[in-house]
Amino acid sequence: MTPMSRVRARRWLGQACAYATLVAITLAICFPLMWALSTSLKPKSELSTPPTLVPHAPTLENYRHLLTGKSQYFAGGSGEYQPTTAPPQYFLSWFGNSIIVSLGSTVISIVISTLAAYSITRFRYKGRMAVPYFSLLGYMVPSIILVFPLFMVMTRLELTDSLWSLTLGYVSTTLPFCMWLLWAFFRGIPVELEEAAMIDGASRLRVFGEIVLPSALPGIIAAAIFSMIVSWNDYLFARVFMNSVDHYPLTVGVMLFFEGVHVDWGLMMASAVLMTVPMAVLFMALQRHLVAGFGAGAVKG
Amino acid sequence: MDDNKEARSRRKFLEDVSLLAAGSVAGSMLPTLPAFAQAKSKATGTVRVWGEPGPYGGVAVDGMNEWAAKFAPGLKFQIESLSWDSVYVKLMTDLAARRPANCISVESPIAMQLMAQGLLEPIDDVVKQVGRERLIDGAKWEYWGAWKGKQYVLPAHHQPHLLLVRQDVINELGLGDPDKWDWNDLLNAARTITEKKPGMAGISLALGRNLCTDYHFAALLHSAGGRMFDPSKQYEVVFDSPNTVEALEYVKSLLPYMPKSAVSASFLEVVDSIVTGKAAMAFYWGRPYGRAWDENKEVFKNLEAYNHARHPKTGNRSNWNDFQGWCIPKANNPYIKEVKAALAYYQTSKVWPVRYCQSLVPNVSPVYKDTAADPELQKHPFFETKKRTIDTYYTGSLKYSSSTANELLGGVNPLAGIVHGRSILAQTVQKVVIDNMKPADAAKWGAKELESVRKEHFSLVI
Amino acid sequence: MQKNEHWRAADNRIGLLFIAPFVVAALVFMVYPVLESIRMAFYYIDPLNPDAQRFAGLDNFGTVLRDPLFWSSFRNAAYWTFVSTILQTVAGVGIALLLHLPLRGISVFRGLLLFPYIVPTVVIALCWQWMLNPEIGIVNHTLRGAGIIDENIYWLSSPDMAMLSTIMLNVWKYTPFVTICVLARLQTVPTELYDAAKVDGAGVLRRFTDITLPQLAEVLAVVVVFRTIWTFNKFEEIYLLTRGGPGTSTYNLAIYSFEQSIANLRMGVGAATGVIMMLMLFLGSILYMRLFRFQDET
Repeated sequence: MTPMSRVRARRWLGQACAYATLVAITLAICFPLMWALSTSLKPKSELSTPPTLVPHAPTLENYRHLLTGKSQYFAGGSGEYQPTTAPPQYFLSWFGNSIIVSLGSTVISIVISTLAAYSITRFRYKGRMAVPYFSLLGYMVPSIILVFPLFMVMTRLELTDSLWSLTLGYVSTTLPFCMWLLWAFFRGIPVELEEAAMIDGASRLRVFGEIVLPSALPGIIAAAIFSMIVSWNDYLFARVFMNSVDHYPLTVGVMLFFEGVHVDWGLMMASAVLMTVPMAVLFMALQRHLVAGFGAGAVKG
Repeated sequence: MDDNKEARSRRKFLEDVSLLAAGSVAGSMLPTLPAFAQAKSKATGTVRVWGEPGPYGGVAVDGMNEWAAKFAPGLKFQIESLSWDSVYVKLMTDLAARRPANCISVESPIAMQLMAQGLLEPIDDVVKQVGRERLIDGAKWEYWGAWKGKQYVLPAHHQPHLLLVRQDVINELGLGDPDKWDWNDLLNAARTITEKKPGMAGISLALGRNLCTDYHFAALLHSAGGRMFDPSKQYEVVFDSPNTVEALEYVKSLLPYMPKSAVSASFLEVVDSIVTGKAAMAFYWGRPYGRAWDENKEVFKNLEAYNHARHPKTGNRSNWNDFQGWCIPKANNPYIKEVKAALAYYQTSKVWPVRYCQSLVPNVSPVYKDTAADPELQKHPFFETKKRTIDTYYTGSLKYSSSTANELLGGVNPLAGIVHGRSILAQTVQKVVIDNMKPADAAKWGAKELESVRKEHFSLVI
Repeated sequence: MQKNEHWRAADNRIGLLFIAPFVVAALVFMVYPVLESIRMAFYYIDPLNPDAQRFAGLDNFGTVLRDPLFWSSFRNAAYWTFVSTILQTVAGVGIALLLHLPLRGISVFRGLLLFPYIVPTVVIALCWQWMLNPEIGIVNHTLRGAGIIDENIYWLSSPDMAMLSTIMLNVWKYTPFVTICVLARLQTVPTELYDAAKVDGAGVLRRFTDITLPQLAEVLAVVVVFRTIWTFNKFEEIYLLTRGGPGTSTYNLAIYSFEQSIANLRMGVGAATGVIMMLMLFLGSILYMRLFRFQDET
């Protein structure tokens, strides 16, 4: 064996080990969701038997029940008359609500924080450095402290039970984060190009729209993803702010399936899968921005 | 177009006739459709109705929607079912937001708390229409919620928890007639089953920090003659008593014969254990029958229910009963009139109360004599094999019923709702079964907590 | 000259205009709620009767500080935070190092390994409850099949196991956060450093301790502080899995505050707990600022 091939063999072995470790860790980490997916495809009869990863008789009935609003309550003990309402019939409304509030709060937070980040990195006025400090503090305040005071505000504004209360409520958690991240990002964008453009007579607004925004886009995308995730995943605010069953977002609505004496795990897992899909798609599509954005925001000062 | 109109009016006519017929068949007992249930309403929107999980809330709402279709076409009643563990969060946030549901179906402790807090609309007018004399024997209107001479809660159903047993196991081991058991016999049965039946727990109780535990323990507390408050002495706390200690010690003695998950168990886990055959006995309401029918026929076949075991010295037995009723929040509620009419409509109809009870036999017991006696009600498959058990739930249980909102049936207690909100009974039990606190000390701890409830909410009871 | 000054002022006005929405939003959605929660801490507030508030002085704080449950919640939270943060950091750094390897297809793994971070807590809690179900859950089934246990483990029914389960959930969900941060930093470490070390004959371990770790020190300090603060205040992860049980063995301060506000109908006490949490947070932030050394450009 030549030394060269020994080196190659060692490198090959190292790579094989690395791949094996990666695959093992990935499987371990993805297992809960793979298990959820597997459960969601099983008929009820397979749930209490010794579990298998691959369903014996895969079925989409759980998804059908969820999307068509079939009652998930056990049929036994009921008489001939069947009630016409059941929680799953709201699943699609919950889905829509979740999308509206997470998009809404993200748009608001991004617009406000982009403008503010531009302002504090490109203008000079007193107190502007308080903004990032302040945002950092706000970023760390846990929702449990904000939720009841905000709830009182929403009550006074008569906004509870409306999607506005959630949209605005989420701004209180997403805004400081977006602000912080975008501030860090904007600082990293060289100002020379903008100055050159302004010397050429371009207005501030034009510079902002044509030069700053495009170069800040990766940061904006990263902030937007995080903001979407935070809003989409929230349970606490929605639990406290929303009253009517058809106004819930997914997180709170789905918990209604835990209705006390009977859990339809197939239905539960189907909703868990559907709840994860939008964020997963977003995440996969924009993943590289995430690492880059995070590098700028949380890691570097 | 004209044809259509004629068809509709013909249908309307037929409906009216059938309604009249139904009224006359029911005889003098059932009043005909009360006038105010026929009042037309121009109100529009969604009427939010809270109910507990299960099909019956939806059935009642379907009945109310039938009223709406006839008399208030702009209205839609919508059921929101709440699992017990989230009732308090929901209650608090909805009331604080001044957006309570327009109609609420809850168990008596909560209903009475709301009632004493002045949050409910009196419903004496509805009761009058529904018929005061229709109430089932052995129950009183105040069990559901009456305060200072006014009725605030309309009975939806009564709902006892009893001693569920696997008759096959009891017979196999020769444990005797559960109906004649006292606490020692029950303990002995639990021990014998655990020892002789591998893989099966003797008895399943909820001991987690939740409402189910509160309700399970309340039955034992009341059976031992203990209570939380004394309504005759300005609701003084009387929890720190030998009776409480005895009940706690009894729970502790049962613990080795329960499933290992008992200390975190709630409603779901208890039903799971009995339906899957992991436990031979349980304290429970009538729900496991339906689930067993669906999931485990063998268990269904052998599942019977009895009034709870007697206290060995006094011979007292006590069946916790939810006394679930409808109530109407009065603040910011634009649909009070309509809800009252719809409630009166569904409760005076012949079909809806029967459908309501039939939707989950034997979990929701009828509250009106005519419903209970209706031959239609018995046209349910469970009556073929479970008649004795169903009768125990429906009528036999009432003689021994008790609830924390009306302890030992000796006086309405609006503080109970707050006690359950804080899970004080469950936490007292947990002090003993998880933290190994002495029962006497746990009783003191519980009494202290109850004292703070009384102090903070004394205005409710004066 | 004069004109230029004028332009500067006008230009600055645009800057103020740009910051204005932030100031308004921050006042309404961040400052006001915090001030309001401080105010609430000094009042008796029954959420069922929100209009009838009475001044309580320091009573609510007294109630909290005298409550043994508060202190046991504090201890649980400290334990939970300590163990979770250490595990997350170790696992996060390990995974980041793996993901930094120059392998083909690494971006696929990168995507999958960061995935848990985006999964809603509700979903994780549901999955966990399902997998940890003592009777029909996959975890007990697997352990029994492998001969590791004879009897089912009741994951959420004993204080120790429930704590372990919530820690596992937390580590699972937030390790990717550490990974992302560390990975981002790793990508900026100049490769020349490693090349030089290789020439000097440093082994893998030496290269890690001598080059990688010092380079990561700053980011790790930041990440640890962040994770500590957040983990300490987490609500949903515990509430949705155990509701603080069995007993009160997995209570932390957030759950304590929530239960005081809602179950006990004492919003003032809940708010007082929140204020105490904020004080701790403030101390934590000062620590963070110290570590972070803001370069304040003037």
